[in-house]
Amino acid sequence: MNPSLKLFLILFISLEITFTSKLWANIIIILVALALLAVHHFSWRQFCWLIAIPFLPAMALFITISFFSPDRDWFYGWVLVSRIYGYVSLGTLFTATTSQLALARSLEQNCHLPSKYAYGVLAAFNLVPRIRQSINTIYMAARMRGVTLHWWSPTLYFKAILAAIQWSDQLAQAMESHGFVEGQVRSFATVITISKKDWLLLGGIILAVQFLVIALP
Amino acid sequence: MKEFSFNHLSFSFTTGEPVLTDLTASFAPRAVHLLTGPSGSGKSTILKLIAGLLPKYGGQITAGNLTVPEGSRSGMLFQDPVMQFALDTPRHELEFTLENCQVPRGQMKGQIATALSFARVTPLADRKITTLSGGQQQRVALAAVVAMKPTILLLDEPFANVDSANRQLILNQLAQLNRKNKTTIIITDHECFGYQELHPQVWQLRDHHLHALTPKEGNELLRHADQQEAAPIRVTMPSKDEQAIVDFTDLTIRQGDSVLLTPTNLHLVKNKTTLLTGANGVGKSTLLKALARLLPYDGQINFQGTDIQKISPGKYFRDVGLIFQHANDQFLNVTVGEELALSRQHGHNPFFTRARLQQALSDLQLNGREDQVVYSLSGGQKKKLQLLLMLMMGQQLLLLDEPFTGLDSQSLATILQLIRESRQVLPLTIVVVSHQLSGIEDFVDYHLVMQNQQLSYQRN
Repeated sequence: MNPSLKLFLILFISLEITFTSKLWANIIIILVALALLAVHHFSWRQFCWLIAIPFLPAMALFITISFFSPDRDWFYGWVLVSRIYGYVSLGTLFTATTSQLALARSLEQNCHLPSKYAYGVLAAFNLVPRIRQSINTIYMAARMRGVTLHWWSPTLYFKAILAAIQWSDQLAQAMESHGFVEGQVRSFATVITISKKDWLLLGGIILAVQFLVIALP
Repeated sequence: MKEFSFNHLSFSFTTGEPVLTDLTASFAPRAVHLLTGPSGSGKSTILKLIAGLLPKYGGQITAGNLTVPEGSRSGMLFQDPVMQFALDTPRHELEFTLENCQVPRGQMKGQIATALSFARVTPLADRKITTLSGGQQQRVALAAVVAMKPTILLLDEPFANVDSANRQLILNQLAQLNRKNKTTIIITDHECFGYQELHPQVWQLRDHHLHALTPKEGNELLRHADQQEAAPIRVTMPSKDEQAIVDFTDLTIRQGDSVLLTPTNLHLVKNKTTLLTGANGVGKSTLLKALARLLPYDGQINFQGTDIQKISPGKYFRDVGLIFQHANDQFLNVTVGEELALSRQHGHNPFFTRARLQQALSDLQLNGREDQVVYSLSGGQKKKLQLLLMLMMGQQLLLLDEPFTGLDSQSLATILQLIRESRQVLPLTIVVVSHQLSGIEDFVDYHLVMQNQQLSYQRN
């Protein structure tokens, strides 16, 4: 599916489950998302993380609503839990099935987002592995100078922020030196289209979700 | 086509002294220009001014002006290879570049293939850029710049991390580019060997001024550099009875799914200098990082008879230091003065008394810069400061990863002299990775070569 439409769809469904409290609709959405993830070769370990990470906040919400709210509403507690898992599984489904480059290209071509934002964000994403490397390097550099840094040491963050500021400047220069000019027309190496099938899929899924929300408790 | 010309131009960064004063020069189009000069003299600044990156990204022109001919398109290659990419793989970066230049989609594939093979990086096209070595990244950056078909190509120390075989290849390619496409090429380089083929106009940047050498003077300089480069390094094999400081037992290093080093048994000799060379991407930096415990490896590395994994980090890094390829990685503070203070506080090299430190600073032309922000130093100045800071720490073993990048021969000689003097007071073992061999012939005792996933001592 076209990345921009997919993003819109995910946001639409998330918004919809925010403003409705239908337990079964949420559960079916979660199950469908998980099934699609399984089709995309999501590993068991990744599934475990998916369940483990939102577990604490979800439980906290559940206990608060079910035991300590004025009407001790168990049903509403479960709705909130399913909502959190709904957001997480939809978000995971999106990131697992969409490449960042394809999304950036689609946002630029289909949604006419200024290329400055599309590629700026992409460039920042590509910095993530470098950030990890450089944090490791900062620890070592400090050790070699007789300083032991901890994760709470201000120097670590100072260095990291300094590096980030420098990178942003260098990145801008690098993009410019590779011919990037803000607002200038660009050609496209890969043309990303929105096909009839994409629109039909979008419409179909939105209709199905409406059916779930209206028909089920 | 008109010329690029500087008319009495003065330029300074907002803080500090002027970088260029009253510079007048004009660069003939369709020619190759070679800019040489000591580190910190402003070579990069000139290129960035031509590329239009300065004063846009800092500093200001305080007098005079710069004329750029209409319709010229510049492509620039930066000194630091890491920070030139917005995307994840070389192919995507090249696509991004060509999209910016509004190249029609039908022509992109062909142009990308041509540019990749120009810089000899076709096999790397779909690798993640973060997994490439410094030299490989530099070649990918070159491919991107060449793909833009610029009318003027600006190369800032393009070979600092490139091995000599690839350097020669790229120089030949540049000569062709200049002949065929009539591209104006301006290169800054502190080393002048290998340029004779290109017949460049040689410029020397001294005391904030650019001096054009006559063709005869230029040729003389290039020939001299070629002769120096050809001089072999005199090394011997380490003998069995010399004391080892580091032992490798079945050391194996992998990067992703490729093997960089097959099981190796070897030792490094104590209180000597061992040079480590090999082609780009062969794994030299990775080996140093394994030694510094920054990367995982298989097999065992012993430091003075103890497995380095069993030594606590605090103790290990009191004895072993790494000089990073990127000088910025070494710094922990903001100003030169603060960095020096930190090394004075924790360092235990008895050589550096207050007087000797002052002397070293003025020899390295770093004196009077105590309040300057380290990140605003020039490439060469950073390298000098970095070496000094680590020497002050007084470790027994220093691992140097391309420590001489961007250093002119004068600065290099000064730094080597400083290491020699310090060594007389406190013994020091050095392992140095360097593509630059001229100037360090007398400094090296042993020579390790890394090739075909193997590591062996060399003799001549």
